[in-house]
Amino acid sequence: MKTTTAHQTELSANIVLFCRFLRNKSFTISATEEADALAAVSYLPIHAEDYFREALRSVIAKSQFQQAKFNEYYYEFKEQLKKATDSKAKELPEEKKQPEKKNRATQFEALKDWLNLTPSEEEKEIAAYSDIEVLSKKDFLDLSEDEMRLMLRVLQKMARKLVHQKSRLRKVSKRRQTLDLKQTIRANMRKGGEIQQLVFSQKKDRKLKLVLLCDVSRSMDLYSRFFIHLMYAFQNAYDKIETFIFSTALHRVSEILDNNEFDKAFATISERVPHWSGGTTIGSCLRDFTQHYGHGMLDKKTIVLILSDGWDTGEPEIMKGAMKTIYKKSKKVIWLNPLAGSPDFSPEAIGMKTALPYIDVLASAHNLESLKQVLIQLRSRRNLLYTL
Amino acid sequence: MKSEELSQIKQMLHGQGYIDDGAIAMSVFLAMKLEKPLLVEGPAGVGKTEIAKVMAKAMKTDLIRLQCYEGLDSTHALYEWNYQHQLLYLKMQEGKGQDIKALEENIFSDKFLLKRPVLHAITHPEQAVLLIDEIDRADEEFESFLLEVLSDWQVTIPEIGTIEATNKPQIILTGNRTRELSEALRRRCLYLWIDYPTFEKELAIVKSKVPKIDQKLGTQICAFMKELRQMKLEKTPGISETIDWARALASMHLTYLDKQTVEDTLGVVLKDWQDIRHTQDALSELLEKTGVTSRIG
Repeated sequence: MKTTTAHQTELSANIVLFCRFLRNKSFTISATEEADALAAVSYLPIHAEDYFREALRSVIAKSQFQQAKFNEYYYEFKEQLKKATDSKAKELPEEKKQPEKKNRATQFEALKDWLNLTPSEEEKEIAAYSDIEVLSKKDFLDLSEDEMRLMLRVLQKMARKLVHQKSRLRKVSKRRQTLDLKQTIRANMRKGGEIQQLVFSQKKDRKLKLVLLCDVSRSMDLYSRFFIHLMYAFQNAYDKIETFIFSTALHRVSEILDNNEFDKAFATISERVPHWSGGTTIGSCLRDFTQHYGHGMLDKKTIVLILSDGWDTGEPEIMKGAMKTIYKKSKKVIWLNPLAGSPDFSPEAIGMKTALPYIDVLASAHNLESLKQVLIQLRSRRNLLYTL
Repeated sequence: MKSEELSQIKQMLHGQGYIDDGAIAMSVFLAMKLEKPLLVEGPAGVGKTEIAKVMAKAMKTDLIRLQCYEGLDSTHALYEWNYQHQLLYLKMQEGKGQDIKALEENIFSDKFLLKRPVLHAITHPEQAVLLIDEIDRADEEFESFLLEVLSDWQVTIPEIGTIEATNKPQIILTGNRTRELSEALRRRCLYLWIDYPTFEKELAIVKSKVPKIDQKLGTQICAFMKELRQMKLEKTPGISETIDWARALASMHLTYLDKQTVEDTLGVVLKDWQDIRHTQDALSELLEKTGVTSRIG
């Protein structure tokens, strides 16, 4: 009898310790999980370790990543615990807990091992495992083919999410959602005020119109492949989107992106665009855009996204005129400059300087995390904020 | 004694033709014991929904299913007032000179409440299994609606008050990560990740679902599927596709795979034309890895 209770307390203490150990490994474990873990163990045969481990895993690990890592951490912890008990074999369980609490004062080698790991290294280890987590901080330049593919999926998800924005305005709905009293009464007036027909309303979809202008000149070469990925993701999620690429001349590529799978679209685009990776005349390209398409495509519901590093070899005046028109006619102008990701960036390029007064948001978008910030911008109105 | 309960669950799953690898039985067992919802994630077609079905069958209770979709709101998931009946009732009471307050109480009573799956599940006379399928498809807003049910087993209706569960239902939520679920939801659930099965597990599943299948054919199918999943496909086939395929081939009384059969029946396994095209291009190589062509010649 006595031994079982002792065993229980030691077990409970170890579970608590283990939870603490996992917290250090960036698991989010609240008191609820700890309580669940203790409760779960009480339902199990004590001596079956596999059961024990599995039970802890289903209670504590709350995502695919955590489940995948759980077993490894479990054995790591066990190993350390074993070492700790071996070296101080005669210690009582309560005392065993203390050095771990004290952290730095610990005399156990094994415990020292994992405590000495700098958090950054540990983060790296975790991040390297979880694809998306690491991707979000990695510069787009360093992506491998596989990562690119994964990135495309993430982008598509993000784009799709943006499409389904709800406006605060309501419209009549065929589905039974919220009862629209005003419309109900109005509809039944002609029936002598006798309420026979019910009218429901639902939130309107907020339709976002997007124009993408992507620089594919040589200076942008490294990023443009990625940006085409981005455009592709958008093109497939939105109805009202127009995509252009430019270097020395402007090309409309919406249809190519619309009707093909990515690799083919990419190949077709590079084939059709003669000045791929040539020099840039941003100004004249933007002017072409405003002259030929601006009238039909730009309005106060349209957000314009320009992807370029701002190295313009043309006249600044042309650029200025074009940017002014775009700014005036659109809802918002977002300029993505991958160079802006480096800490010592300042908008030095003449093109960039000229365009700056006509840009609502200037962002780096050199990795997924910064891109996410930009996508949030797509939801809001013009607010004259520079995010660098 | 305690291990008996666990093995009972295993037998229960087994009895319904569900092959598990230990982790699943453990999660189901703990979800029942700790009275917590179970969140099951994994790629499409690995048997997430099946868990709920099997549980309902084994517990001999009703399975209440809520299929999530974009724009799903509380009127479709929790409850709704039966407006038409309310109107008719009002009409009938007209001229009777009934007290307004009493009338209002009457209108907003149980009688005029349409129970949608979630409310239905918690007011069920016996413990039911509530399957909330593909929760990641619903909006984030809807997730928050669910939190009250998941942790406190109750639904609050402004006009009536709080309805508490008569019997805590066994809730299973499934998702395949089209969207990251909120931390709040995860915290309230036990979590289970089901991955594509190992070769042995898949073979066992095929044998249990398609008992008349030829041993050699079954082995080849599973080996082929294993290789197929290594390819970069738009939609990687799950176990349900394997079973469909095994059924199809078994009903044709085949005893082994050959290239022609695979080519003809690929549509059962792959549901995306690009995938089919890619696979056809790589078919010989795939079959070689599976060890099919070498046997034929």
